[in-house]
Amino acid sequence: MEARAGFVDNIAVQGATLERTTEADLVRAAQRGDAGAFDELVRVHDHQVLRMAYNLLRSEEDARDIYQEAFLRVHRNLPKFRFDSSFSTWLYRIVANLCLDHLRKRKVRHEESASFKSESGEVDRLQFIPEERADVDPQRRFQSAEVNSRIQDVLAELTPRERVVFEMRHYQGMRLRAIGQALGVTEEAAKNCLFRATHKMRAALGDFA
Amino acid sequence: MNCQDAQSSLSLYLYGELDFAQEEEIEVHLEQCAACQLSLTREKQWHTQTNAQALEPPQDLLAECRRQLRPALARETSSEPAVVRSWWRWGKPFDISFNRWSAQVALASLLVGLGFFSARLLDHGSLHGSLQLSNSNEMGMLNSPNTLVRDIQTGSSGEVRIIIEQQSEISGRMDDPTIRRLLLAGAREPEPDVRFYAMQLLNQQSVTDQAGDLREVLFDAVRNDPNPAVRMEAVDGLRRYSSDPAALEMIKFVVEHDDNQGVRYQAINILVPPDRAVPMTPAVTQTIQEVLLSAPSDDYVRGRCSQALQEAKVAVIY
Repeated sequence: MEARAGFVDNIAVQGATLERTTEADLVRAAQRGDAGAFDELVRVHDHQVLRMAYNLLRSEEDARDIYQEAFLRVHRNLPKFRFDSSFSTWLYRIVANLCLDHLRKRKVRHEESASFKSESGEVDRLQFIPEERADVDPQRRFQSAEVNSRIQDVLAELTPRERVVFEMRHYQGMRLRAIGQALGVTEEAAKNCLFRATHKMRAALGDFA
Repeated sequence: MNCQDAQSSLSLYLYGELDFAQEEEIEVHLEQCAACQLSLTREKQWHTQTNAQALEPPQDLLAECRRQLRPALARETSSEPAVVRSWWRWGKPFDISFNRWSAQVALASLLVGLGFFSARLLDHGSLHGSLQLSNSNEMGMLNSPNTLVRDIQTGSSGEVRIIIEQQSEISGRMDDPTIRRLLLAGAREPEPDVRFYAMQLLNQQSVTDQAGDLREVLFDAVRNDPNPAVRMEAVDGLRRYSSDPAALEMIKFVVEHDDNQGVRYQAINILVPPDRAVPMTPAVTQTIQEVLLSAPSDDYVRGRCSQALQEAKVAVIY
């Protein structure tokens, strides 16, 4: 625990340049069985993990499952982690693959619909779209709702891989190189995937823009 | 660069994913081409509209995920022999390697080891000021790979005081009274892994709890253990006391007060078994009614209780 306090001090005193080293130290401590260090790793990354899963799957229940399964896999395989990539890249690889599997299964079941399950029951996706101000022209408001609906349709029609790459680049702000590493493909392959996804988005939304 | 090339690269341009030369080319083209400037404006618009679709997970979802992860990790960890891992960690500086013993034997060994540690501490006084160890047994202990340095202190006059311990082990059958006593002690150890595993082994035992010592340990864990996985295991252990009014009271306490959903559901599953294999006793019926009267905020708990009473054709009281 004292060693962990030291890592935190490093972050505070020496700033962002040492963050990577600090994360590696946390990983090593977690590999030695320090549960506190593992907890730190979870807390550093879990919001992003949940956000990605929630945005991709648009279901609280599914996002919760991905979150738990991802960190259980990390915990299970951490002793085998050999720093061939950064911890976060490895973590995103696990999350991306879990989400991909989920999306593929969902594609097979054709279960993507205009609503999704939450704790409080079925929720319409559109309720999460920010409402326009009341003084906005009704015509524009109608058009905006249509655009939002169209965006959802296009996102649902992307292939699971395109969907994941688009999510990682557009919503998570990850660079293509990192996306490629996370998915175990080249940067060029990730770029092609993003290219196809944005092409579909443009084709579907061009009339509205 | 022609218009087709430029327009197909607009998204990558906005994402900043073009290399320097490609970015230069597209900017030069955009400066000269009104049609592509319009396309860029449209591209920006759909990017912005798509941004608005980003969902932020609800605040309580992250907290719930974290709460659920802990017991899941504890369960996962407890599926390996905790002792072997601990020993490995402690033994590593001495390059000790361990075979994967059966979990029961390993746990029992750890518990005995823990119990013996304090008794095996060296006489600290004999180490002050010198390193003279006249006792050959103590010398042997220092050379043993099972000897661990537990603490190091320095004195004002420059002497070093090293606290060492030696591991001991015991093995035996689960129904052995000593093993049982050590498991009961393990269920109160500070390390949650050890508590969880000890409790799991105790719950699997078919030996009657004549002395009531297991019941006491379970009750204590249900009420006070900070780890939800341990509480869940303790609640599970209450099954064998289902005819005991105090155990029913304890299950009711969990359903009404435990802050962990998983622990609450474990308790409700004992009170209202999903398979309804055993008819509800009047005491259980009364407990379910009392739970409903306490107006639980958990929909699932309320639903299970109401359903059980309806199936038993007992009045549902709100």
